[in-house]
Amino acid sequence: MQKNISTILKSVSKPGRYTGGEYGQIVKDKSKIKARVAFCFPDTYEIGMSNLGGKILYGALNEMKDVWCERVYAPWPDMEEKMRESNIPLFALESKDDVKDFDIVAFSMQYELCYTTTVNMIDLAGLPIYARDRDENAPILLGGGPCAYNAEPIADFFDIFSIGEGEEALPELLSLYIKMKDDGTYNKKDFLREASHLKGFYVPSLYDVEYNESGTIKSFEPKYPDVPKRVVKRVVEDLNTSYFPTKPVMPYIETVHDRIMLETFRGCIRGCRFCQAGMVFRPVREKSAEVLNRQAQEIYKNTGYNEISLTSLSISDYSCLHEATDMLLDWTNEKKINLSLPSLRADSFTKELMQKVSSVRSSGLTFAPEAGTQRLRDAINKNLYEKDLLNAVRLAFEGGKSLVKLYFMNGLPTETYEDIEGIGALAKTVVDEYYNTPNRPRKPFTVTVSVSCFVPKPHTPFQWEPQDSLESLRHKQMFLAEKITDKKIHYNWHEATVSRLEAVFSKGDRRLSRAIALAQSKGMKFDAWDEYFDYHKWMEVFEECGIDPDFYANRTIGYDEILPWDVIDIGVSKEFMIRENKKAHESKTTPNCKEQCSGCGANKLGKELTWCPKMK
Amino acid sequence: MVSQNEMIPVRIKFSKTGNLMYISHLDLARTMQRIIVRSGIDIWYSEGFNPQPKIVFAVPLPVGVESKCEYMDIRINSYMSNDEIAKRISDNFPEEMKLISVYTPDKKFKNIAYIDYTISLVSPKITSETANSILELFKGECIITKKTKSGEKEVNISDHVKKLEADFDGEKITLHAILSADSEKYLNPEHFIEGIRQNIGILNSNTTDEYYTILRNNMLMENLEIFE
Repeated sequence: MQKNISTILKSVSKPGRYTGGEYGQIVKDKSKIKARVAFCFPDTYEIGMSNLGGKILYGALNEMKDVWCERVYAPWPDMEEKMRESNIPLFALESKDDVKDFDIVAFSMQYELCYTTTVNMIDLAGLPIYARDRDENAPILLGGGPCAYNAEPIADFFDIFSIGEGEEALPELLSLYIKMKDDGTYNKKDFLREASHLKGFYVPSLYDVEYNESGTIKSFEPKYPDVPKRVVKRVVEDLNTSYFPTKPVMPYIETVHDRIMLETFRGCIRGCRFCQAGMVFRPVREKSAEVLNRQAQEIYKNTGYNEISLTSLSISDYSCLHEATDMLLDWTNEKKINLSLPSLRADSFTKELMQKVSSVRSSGLTFAPEAGTQRLRDAINKNLYEKDLLNAVRLAFEGGKSLVKLYFMNGLPTETYEDIEGIGALAKTVVDEYYNTPNRPRKPFTVTVSVSCFVPKPHTPFQWEPQDSLESLRHKQMFLAEKITDKKIHYNWHEATVSRLEAVFSKGDRRLSRAIALAQSKGMKFDAWDEYFDYHKWMEVFEECGIDPDFYANRTIGYDEILPWDVIDIGVSKEFMIRENKKAHESKTTPNCKEQCSGCGANKLGKELTWCPKMK
Repeated sequence: MVSQNEMIPVRIKFSKTGNLMYISHLDLARTMQRIIVRSGIDIWYSEGFNPQPKIVFAVPLPVGVESKCEYMDIRINSYMSNDEIAKRISDNFPEEMKLISVYTPDKKFKNIAYIDYTISLVSPKITSETANSILELFKGECIITKKTKSGEKEVNISDHVKKLEADFDGEKITLHAILSADSEKYLNPEHFIEGIRQNIGILNSNTTDEYYTILRNNMLMENLEIFE
């Protein structure tokens, strides 16, 4: 087997993706292992290796003595072709053993456009793609990641889903598996039934779904009384004591985030109404500056990286940010390590902060006002004012930065053409601010305006909202192009067809699985990659399956309708979501969690270590 | 401020075999920087805007070629014994990478004139005649078309083949080749294979029954003595 892989590697692009053997990889003695996990990431090695969640789970599972977790990434089509030609099934990087022989095959799904790649990997492993067609000897297919919050479109391919944070949940699942194997009670059916009793696991085959003639869901019920009606997501209560990997695998080839990634906190106090992460990661839980600094030192010693990135959903909301950066800079400067702070909010951008972060290399800064007018920013609860943005860019210009990137969205609920014009106008004020800054850097100056298309996401206050039609989105994109005349503004926009497909799968139900299966059988994969995305082909697939994409993407859903993802309880109540949705239509804001508790319900999940109890 | 001349030069010899042949030179360089940093060796950093641990490699190894004789030079700011450096680097190497030796260099990389390779050819098209045809090929002119920045160029690579032996064991051909390695006349072993491919008509596919392997054994000086 090894020999065969080695031979085909000579004729594929970036062979370093498939060799394994990196420093920090974990190899165990197979004879002492009771459960083997293939941790699959349905995208390229470079992207998968950059995923922090994957590093955490790889480490957490390998902490278990009788479990060996290995990595699997999607082979690029040139490699896949060679593998299929030479009858080499999907293999794990560490052992090069066939994925189909593992006990658990886990997929981390970060975005909807990875579904065809996921199914293609199952097929390439030599396994039947539908769960119902896999026999007792086939591995358990476990799904997880953000997509699991509405796993319905892929429910038929998987045996079980892990809902929420996995570093404590997955070891529990593995312990159950090993226990049942040890005492001879294991069979797939009984294991899945038992697993449905664990906190945070959803077994889709244990639920019956019925539909109304209109296509909406009539009922969504567990088949047995012991199966929970709703699955509550898992959260880690204490980030100071929970597992965090300090000896990550060191890729040979360059990956997307090839640096130390330090998680500072989970959750977000802001409550932007379009943002799924801001809802599903509630409540906010922080890591202390001391723990963060200690982890940074350990990782540096184990990796030799020269950059540290502090990750979170909104780094300026980290209450220990100044303390933590001071502690880090104390030793990182001397060791020539750069510090970077992604996800900075414009309203908390200070001169002090800018001087702290790796200012040497990048000459740009990025902010995300999301909408062009205060009215629309209020409707989406962005809580950002023009004066804050101008203040932030002025500080950036004074600090020698000359490239500003601004992120916006088109097609947000309640959006009018006035709001779109506002995007151009806001960018223009940034340009003016540059020329009004006397000590501005005399370097090439541009303001890049990047506009994506709004995708309504499950578990957000906008989950009932329709996506703007393709025609309308395109019209708005062109309209803005005409409004932006300043040569210093570079305007680019996302392809609306991609966002439309995302909307279909984000809010999809179980009936979509046959479209994904058909697409895979037609050779479709890597939909998130421009060179493989084919909207026309997707529309053909939907038509062939009798699926109307408008039903999923462009329909206003009633508050009383049963949603495909209602079976998942993220801890935030539907009442809160409805309140927030109504306020959006009145352009009213909601205070952030630090200012005032708005009673979303997530406080019950986090116990005393969250922000929430302090607000009581 | 200490000047560069006061730094202590250290040469590190290592092997890059097995799957490591798929790691490109650029990726290897980055990997080595991190290995040295986590070894805690007080390496000299380049100066300027974006300081990097300074490592200089001997003739870069093409992707797909294995080697038992790779060299890299570093400079260190404060004394550490070669044994200690060897231990630390070895501890931080990925499993497949092997440290051969650490020493204070007395020759310069520019003294490298040739590289000695072992090349194995496997193909169903190989007959008892093939080995001889290959030897004959390089006795005369062997022209290949090389892609360069300014278009395609025809090169006679025979000039860069210093010595060649061939054995046929009934299954595969094993070549011992000494190819030019100085910067002016460097012959990439892949181009040497290209010469065989274009003129002998084997190795046109890359499958499990038709392939080749290339291994660097030694770097040699002008007088064909082994470079260390």
